[in-house]
Amino acid sequence: MQKRFLTIWFRYLKTDWLTRRRPALVHTPFVLAAPDHGRMIITAVNIPAQKQGINRDMVLADARAIYPSLQYMEDKQEPSGKLLQTIAAWCIRYSPWVVADPPDGLILDITGCTHLWGGETTYLTSIINRFKLMGYTVRTGIADTIGASWAIARFGKDNFIVETGQQEQALLDLPASALRLSPEIIERLHKLGLRETGSFIHMPRSALRRRFGEELLQRIDQALGNKEEITVPVLQPEPWQERLPCLEPITTRTGIEIALQRLLESLCKRLQLQQKGLRVACFKCYRIDGKTQQIETGTNRGSYKVSHLFKLFELKLDTIEPDLGIELFVLEASKVEDAPATQENLWEGTCGLADIKFSELIDRIEGKIGAGHIHRYLPDEHYWPERSVKPAVTLHEKITMAWNTDRPRPVQLLSIPEPIQVTAPIPDYPPMNFRYKQKLHTVKKADGPERIEAEWWLQEGQHRDYYVVEDAEGQRYWLFRSGHYEEGHEWFIHGFFA
Amino acid sequence: MSYTELQVTTNFSFLRGASHPDELINQAAAFGYKEIAITDRNSFAGLVRAHAATKEKDIRIIPACRLDLSDGYSLLAYPTNKNAYSQLSALLTGGNLRTEKGQCLLYKADVYRHAIDMKFIVVPPAMLNNSFHFEPAFEQMLKEYKDVFGKELYIAASRRYYGDDNKQLYRLSQLAEQLQIPLVATNDVHYHTAKRRQLQDVLTCIREKCTIHTAGFRLHPNAERYLKAKEEMLRLFRQYPDAIKRTQEIAEACRFSLNELKYEYPEELTAEGRTPLEELTYLTWQGATQCFGDQVPENTINIIRHELDFIEKMNYANYFLTVHDIVRFARSQNILCQGRGSAANSTICYCLGITSIDPVKFDLLFERFISSARNEPPDIDVDFEHERREEVIQYIYDKYGRDRAAIVATVTQQHQKGALRDVAKAMGISVDTINRLTNSMWDSIAEWVNEKQIAEQGLDLKDKHLRKTLQLTRQYMGFPRQLGQHTGGFVITKGKLSDLCPILNARMENRTCIEWNKDDIDALGFLKVDVLALGMLTCIRKAFELAKKHYCKAYTLANIPQDDPAVYEMICHADTIGVFQIESRAQQSMLPRLKPRCFYDLVIEVAIVRPGPIQGDMVHPYLRRRNNEEKVEYPSDELKEILERTLGVPLFQEQAMKIAIVAAEFTPAEADELRRSMATFKLQGMVTKFEKKLIDGMMKRGYSYEYAHRVFKQLEGFGSYGFPESHAASFALLVYVSSWLKCYYPDAFACALLNSMPMGFYQPAQIVIDAKKHGVEVRPADINHSTWDNLLEQLNGKYCAIRLGFRQVKGLREEDMQVLVTGRKNTFACIRELLNLGLSKTTLEKLADADAFRSIGLDRRRALWEISACNDQPVGIFKGQTSADPAEEKVILPHMSEAEHVIRDYKAISLSLKAHPVSFVREKLELLHIVPTQQLSVMHDGDKVKVAGLVTIRQRPGTAEGVCFVTIEDETGIANLVVFPNIFETFRKELLQASLFMAEGKLQVEGEVIHVIVQRCYDLSPLIQNLTATKEKSSRLMPLSRADESISSANAVAKRKQKITREESLFPRGRNFR
Repeated sequence: MQKRFLTIWFRYLKTDWLTRRRPALVHTPFVLAAPDHGRMIITAVNIPAQKQGINRDMVLADARAIYPSLQYMEDKQEPSGKLLQTIAAWCIRYSPWVVADPPDGLILDITGCTHLWGGETTYLTSIINRFKLMGYTVRTGIADTIGASWAIARFGKDNFIVETGQQEQALLDLPASALRLSPEIIERLHKLGLRETGSFIHMPRSALRRRFGEELLQRIDQALGNKEEITVPVLQPEPWQERLPCLEPITTRTGIEIALQRLLESLCKRLQLQQKGLRVACFKCYRIDGKTQQIETGTNRGSYKVSHLFKLFELKLDTIEPDLGIELFVLEASKVEDAPATQENLWEGTCGLADIKFSELIDRIEGKIGAGHIHRYLPDEHYWPERSVKPAVTLHEKITMAWNTDRPRPVQLLSIPEPIQVTAPIPDYPPMNFRYKQKLHTVKKADGPERIEAEWWLQEGQHRDYYVVEDAEGQRYWLFRSGHYEEGHEWFIHGFFA
Repeated sequence: MSYTELQVTTNFSFLRGASHPDELINQAAAFGYKEIAITDRNSFAGLVRAHAATKEKDIRIIPACRLDLSDGYSLLAYPTNKNAYSQLSALLTGGNLRTEKGQCLLYKADVYRHAIDMKFIVVPPAMLNNSFHFEPAFEQMLKEYKDVFGKELYIAASRRYYGDDNKQLYRLSQLAEQLQIPLVATNDVHYHTAKRRQLQDVLTCIREKCTIHTAGFRLHPNAERYLKAKEEMLRLFRQYPDAIKRTQEIAEACRFSLNELKYEYPEELTAEGRTPLEELTYLTWQGATQCFGDQVPENTINIIRHELDFIEKMNYANYFLTVHDIVRFARSQNILCQGRGSAANSTICYCLGITSIDPVKFDLLFERFISSARNEPPDIDVDFEHERREEVIQYIYDKYGRDRAAIVATVTQQHQKGALRDVAKAMGISVDTINRLTNSMWDSIAEWVNEKQIAEQGLDLKDKHLRKTLQLTRQYMGFPRQLGQHTGGFVITKGKLSDLCPILNARMENRTCIEWNKDDIDALGFLKVDVLALGMLTCIRKAFELAKKHYCKAYTLANIPQDDPAVYEMICHADTIGVFQIESRAQQSMLPRLKPRCFYDLVIEVAIVRPGPIQGDMVHPYLRRRNNEEKVEYPSDELKEILERTLGVPLFQEQAMKIAIVAAEFTPAEADELRRSMATFKLQGMVTKFEKKLIDGMMKRGYSYEYAHRVFKQLEGFGSYGFPESHAASFALLVYVSSWLKCYYPDAFACALLNSMPMGFYQPAQIVIDAKKHGVEVRPADINHSTWDNLLEQLNGKYCAIRLGFRQVKGLREEDMQVLVTGRKNTFACIRELLNLGLSKTTLEKLADADAFRSIGLDRRRALWEISACNDQPVGIFKGQTSADPAEEKVILPHMSEAEHVIRDYKAISLSLKAHPVSFVREKLELLHIVPTQQLSVMHDGDKVKVAGLVTIRQRPGTAEGVCFVTIEDETGIANLVVFPNIFETFRKELLQASLFMAEGKLQVEGEVIHVIVQRCYDLSPLIQNLTATKEKSSRLMPLSRADESISSANAVAKRKQKITREESLFPRGRNFR
């Protein structure tokens, strides 16, 4: 069967994508730019900006001189490749064999696909319209070879279909760059006055080889179909999802438990193979009456341990109402993370955060009392005591700095300092006694002051002079005076030492 | 009991200290301190500023330094006398020179070697360890220090409010007791008031390259490092009164003052045992006989005697000898040089050959430039050829040694944009917001950003964080940022320079400089010699060489025939492309109005088109008076004397300053300070103070407010671009010499100019066109005729023909072309010969691009065709066989049109000798009723006109309030366009983007000065772009005209786009000037 290829060219890939996310940009000229040798070079231009005469490869400053209110964003190089992959994966509905052609093209092997749409023309229209709806401007070309379809998409008539065997004819009028040549070769062809493909395609091969090397000949051959081109299609990633349809509707708890157990087993097996661990999972039960029941659970550490996960779900199984019966179970892991397999320890229970049993315990407690009741704190780089600790986001969040031990800090820090009455000699001596919760404490020993200034970029306010004091009963407290002794000042208690 | 602060960090410890030295001194004086030490980190850079700030105050500084060591605890070092100071300076020099710029690498062993007569304070670590002791390493080090420094060693005790101050002090006092090292109180001052703590935090962030939110413990926890009142310090150290007393002990011992530094001239310049003055006298008279012949005119003799007396009185003989020595060296190496500056226009300098202007003839009196009353050091700047100045610099280093000669530093200050950028980054503001902020600022020295501009950028000024950022930026502006290298100011001393000031490596290889800048060394009375670079001198020297070679004339700056009317005639017609200084648009339009007829007119011409006179609105009054359209009057008799030479209008810096002295009763020193303040202190808002004083002073003496205001405006202009008469005179000479060359040897002049590129205002294309206009034949670069430099060939008519050199061809390397030239035994007959010389294929292709193969009968396209196949040669057994397929010979390349050739010429050498690109579209332009530029001169004022051409220059000078001056060029000549700001905004795209630009507007004719006042602009670039496109086969592929262009036909867009990217860079983009 004669091979047929479709090339899709996204002329404004990055800007179209951005406009999709921020529709307000539709009529605003904007560009993407990336630093290059200390200058910002424009890497992508949207249509309104192009109308203003702004083009790719211009220096951003020049473009802004031409059009001062030009919007620009920094071009983060990474997403474009990923974006193209995503679109390629989406295109699998049109052909099983889709190749991403960076930076902004797709190549589809459409051999034997088009009849499903009723022919190449309708096939093409369908694709173009779908992309147009999504907000992407595309240009396409269909031909016998990748090279020819590439050339037509970029340089030929709009959305042109080259009949089988006609590629040579179609190429003749196109510029040399339609052959996917390196810039040096194109430059040289131009200098020699060989602008169109037709002006050199029939020259003696040896004359071309001597001057332009193998590349030109290869590209010509590829475009004409004398040589096959090999490419690698994209693969669609499989989602972390398992399904279990039931012949008979399930109504019993045991039945649900068995379903959950099976789904967990197959999902965990997949996870383990890819060294992933589950963080958040959702168990969905589709009832025959069309309603869905679901329970969700989460872990503190990526896990692929069936028994543990089962226990977590088990706590919530009661909430599922099977009603007339469940016909489909789906288990979905919406959040997974890397969970490299660790070598098992000879003696279990190493304690500490690394211990899996510990994290599983927390998972279970949280499952019972609800999330958000167990906290972990980490030191934070702030002098201001209230900000010197912060809650950790995860169980294994790495400590970024050592706990500061060079200053005395109380074991219990009040989240809001409480005012106290004191008798203190000025200017900056520690208090002689203080009254806290109706009780008068006589200060026997004291150390300080430690002056901590307000973090002016976060809050205005006075500095604090902290004192560590010990009362007659040997209890130690952390007191501070807010503000300078000369001006209005107040005393507070902020913590208790052991 | 009194207290002296002994540990003070100024903002010359870059990104540590948060106060200027003078702020610290003023604060200390206000607190009643009698002395204060300045201890910057491994640097003396802030000392002189602090020293200068103590003037007229009852306080002195103790010059000192904090030594941060690579292998030990930091030491504060206090020299007790001049010798110790020199030791310390030498120590820092050693540390600086062994590492790269901006760093200082010191070891404790270095300090031990330079410890004589020095007192030291060791800075203890900030923390006690877990057992409330100092680290054992510290005690160990203390013992070592004690062994070396003995009783000169102290320990610093500071109260930092860290909570364990009492413990620390107790431990320190224990250590002090145990090791017999006395405690001394310091407060480790980083800023003069606690309010600066915020700025100091930001500086820390800038230094650590983090933001205020991530800085964490890198900041100080509190604001206690401010300069505290003495009473407060006494209170804090009430338990350790001895520590306070010791500050006095140290302060008493350190009586050294920077005033003791005596600058001394190098002495080896005299011969035969003469004193410097005798030597100078001897050389002067010797020179006088050479200049004036045996019969030196009576008048000149008197002037020389008078000047010598003056020099003797001021003791400047050595200075003149130093300059003379440098100039003598340059002469011996055939490096052209020319002196300028206040003292350069003396008869003595003329006799010594430092300048080529005969001051007697031009009536440039010495006294006008230099007066004993002002007691300012003489100033001679010497300009050298820019390509060869390095030789002179290295000569100075060699002659005096690196320990005796060094370049003066320039302290670069934080300007508005840079300061904002740094502070905003430290405050964690996002990059695009920063860009918006900085974009809203135009001029780095203009007034502070106004709220409107910021609001226009869509930023909310009510936002506290933003307001704080701007407020801190304002404080940060004017902070020293780094020590740079002055453009060429040398300090040369008799003894070791490092005895006076630390020397450090400059960023450029083989350069060393000192830590102090020009104001600092002025304040200490050091003298510097400016060794500057000037491109025009290179050009003139090359022109002289060409004249010698081809016309057998030996010219020097001094023997060019003077006062040649033909030269002035040429200047009056603004025929000055390439000429020094008077080639710019503004100058060219001034020349026909001013009509210079004598040398002094040139002096005025040079000075008048400058921001000073323009901002002060002095230009038009002068022109009117000169053309007898306005009566010459003087505001008062006392000013008549000053202003007579310039018809009552102040044009020179000296005049403006003298007005301040005479009319506003400034002291000469104040006047000088005023001028300096414009340039140096602008950032600190000192200007308004002077403005009031000047205007009030003048009005008190009966001058009108307008006049006073104008004088002030002019002074302001001079601040940034000072142009004193003495400099103008020296420049005028070069103007005359270059004009003379252009007038009589346009061939040699153009050739020299091309060989000295890049310089000046114009690009090679304009210079070549101008040379052709003057009847010089210009021939293309060719493999059989050219060398690297442009050449003069045999006489052809009146002038020699210029042969373009390979240096004009883009992308060629000089070494490759040397190979080609040396390999050119006979003429080359085929490409193969070039290849056999070892030239690479790329080089040959570059030559083909430049169409340099014509002499062997190949045009660029055919040559490229041949060259591209060159690599493929039969080897081994196939040697000798032809490599080409016989079929290949039949290949016919597309014909290359003349227009295409021209455009390729532009691409390869930025100019074309074949034709002007515009000439190919002339027919089309005529259809649009566009006139050739030449025709403008026969049209009338007020005519409506359309012109088109390539944009060569766009200029938006700061003085013109946004008016843009554009010069366009077509095949017949050039046209000068004036674009007003509203038109500029409307047609910005066309103005900045069009390679073929068309303007429609009104003609303004004023004598010979013709301008087009632009009303509409068009971009005709497609006309030119079409020139290269071959005849397309199908109409479908023809680029659509702009009107048809619709975005849906991405095809056409893609095609057009491709074409544009291909052709757009063909023409040199017009140069933009501010």
